[in-house]
Amino acid sequence: MTGRPVARALLAGGLLLTLLLAGCGVRPSGVITGRPAMAGPSVGVRLYLLSHGELALVIHPSKEPASPEETLAMLAAGPDESDLSQGLTSEVPTGLVPAGPVTAVPGRPGLTVTMTGPVLSLSGAAADQIVCTAASAAALAGLADSFPPITLAGPDGARPPRFCPVVR
Amino acid sequence: MTLWRWAGGHASGLRVRLLLAFALLGVTTTAVVASGSYFQARTVILQQAQDAAVASLTDQLTKVYPIRQLPPTQNELDDLAHRLSDREGYAVVIYHDMRAQGAQVPEPLTPELRQAVESGLIAWQRVSRDGEPVLLIGTQLKLDRPDGAVLPSGLEVYAVRSLASEQQSIDRLATLAWLTGGLSLVLAVLLALLAARGVLRPVRELGRAARRLGEGDLTTRLVVRGADELADVARTFNDTAGTVERQVGELRRMEADARRFVADVSHELRTPLAAMTAVTDVLDEEADRLPGDAGKAARLVSQETQSLTQLVNDLIEVSRFDSGTARLALDDVDVAAAVTATLRIRGWTDRVRAELPPGVVARLDPRRLDVIVANLVGNAFRHGTEPVSVRLHAEPDWITIEVRDQGPGLDPEVLPHVFDRFYKADTARTRSEGSGLGLAIAWENARLHRHAGQAGSLVASNAPTGGAVFTLRLPRVAADTANTGGVR
Repeated sequence: MTGRPVARALLAGGLLLTLLLAGCGVRPSGVITGRPAMAGPSVGVRLYLLSHGELALVIHPSKEPASPEETLAMLAAGPDESDLSQGLTSEVPTGLVPAGPVTAVPGRPGLTVTMTGPVLSLSGAAADQIVCTAASAAALAGLADSFPPITLAGPDGARPPRFCPVVR
Repeated sequence: MTLWRWAGGHASGLRVRLLLAFALLGVTTTAVVASGSYFQARTVILQQAQDAAVASLTDQLTKVYPIRQLPPTQNELDDLAHRLSDREGYAVVIYHDMRAQGAQVPEPLTPELRQAVESGLIAWQRVSRDGEPVLLIGTQLKLDRPDGAVLPSGLEVYAVRSLASEQQSIDRLATLAWLTGGLSLVLAVLLALLAARGVLRPVRELGRAARRLGEGDLTTRLVVRGADELADVARTFNDTAGTVERQVGELRRMEADARRFVADVSHELRTPLAAMTAVTDVLDEEADRLPGDAGKAARLVSQETQSLTQLVNDLIEVSRFDSGTARLALDDVDVAAAVTATLRIRGWTDRVRAELPPGVVARLDPRRLDVIVANLVGNAFRHGTEPVSVRLHAEPDWITIEVRDQGPGLDPEVLPHVFDRFYKADTARTRSEGSGLGLAIAWENARLHRHAGQAGSLVASNAPTGGAVFTLRLPRVAADTANTGGVR
């Protein structure tokens, strides 16, 4: 006779204790994840500079949408004060601007950028800066659906076509 | 352990057991239900609050776009953080190594949350900050790409929102749950008491009725209520009581019939016996003159007729006791004189050593006193050894007459039956000189005298020095009582 009440009392007590301990109030939780982070448009010129040797996207304000050539000219102008204060650098030589419009050249995939200066002597990082900025600007200008492969050409010849590495 | 055993011992009562079972049932059920609904409600409240906070942050962040400058200046970050802060919380905006915080409080962000945000998802987490629950929501701000894909901008926004109001709601829920539990416990106890009463009342009634039945009230019956097991028990009890009553009634009727038969037979025998007595009286007178065997036969007939008359008279007397028609004819009697007269009439004065203090007056039935004393003394002569002594002793309310002989005394086996009717102490002797009813009649006569609810008594015992002792105890002022027929 004593066995059952004891067991039942323990059960009830356990339940009450559970309620008491597990429970009252708001308990800390683990990380809960939801949908992907939000995204939105930008106004200005998107350039690719270098942050500790890595490509980094910056936006320079501009009144009107810039053409790919203007965009590349702004890249050649180098980082502004705000960029420098964040430790952003550029390896693109000052004055290395496009000699003509960014266009598709038959026999080459994607778009071709013909520069005023030599392109074969450019560092890999500098070439990537130009490739990414040109691809981004071309896409924004409607010259291509997405980031196209870019061929860098100059008076000294042409580099092989290349995709922007941060996007692929 | 001993506590449990103690509780177990006391828990054997039906009421306690019901109480315990009901209380446990009530508390367990309430605990399960209340805790279940509490947890569910808590989850819902928190989820709603979190979803609303996330939605609100997302809504606010759409106004941040389009992004005009990257990397932002510290001013821009500060401005953004300020814009995202409100009454309910504040924001932390991070761009790589730059950071802006909408409130002057320690950094609340956890590494695991930052990691989840870096993976490109909106993430949130509840943490406790100084005992206050806080919701952290984090997201990156990404940039659209012309082809529909997105680019990380390096900006991260975290909203820090207090959950104090939710905590309050949940605490209220908990209080409500406890209150519900307490109320249900009270309710369970009340219900248990009610149920125990419902069960215990018929049980108690049953016990009371059984006790009454055992005490001899055969008309005891229970009221059968409902159709449950207890009603079945009550019905069975009633059936049993009815059967017992019928059978006892039958037995009583048969016994009464037998007694009436004896009484009727005795009465019927009286008239012929009277005639026979008249004849034997004549025969007695002539017996001496009759020759040889005829005289012996005449004397035998006379003697047996006398015995038969005695027996019939005794039977009539006994049947009066049995039918309850025996009445006392009370008179103020000098007991010593009455006893002396009894002895003298029967010619025993010389053979009995009487110690009769004079002046003891009692109100009793002198005829019955005579019958008792004569029976006792005669019995002593027949079965004991002389000398026989009669001793009168007076108390304020009672008188005691002790009749003692010097014989071997009564066999212990005989003692309890000495007042039974027709009981033969000596089984070898088939014919007793008495009727076999003398002591029974004496016993009934003694009991007929009552005083203050106490009946007179006649007790047989053995004296330590040997010899049987019959002690008669009669009230000094006897009252006649109806229906004092001894039931043996």
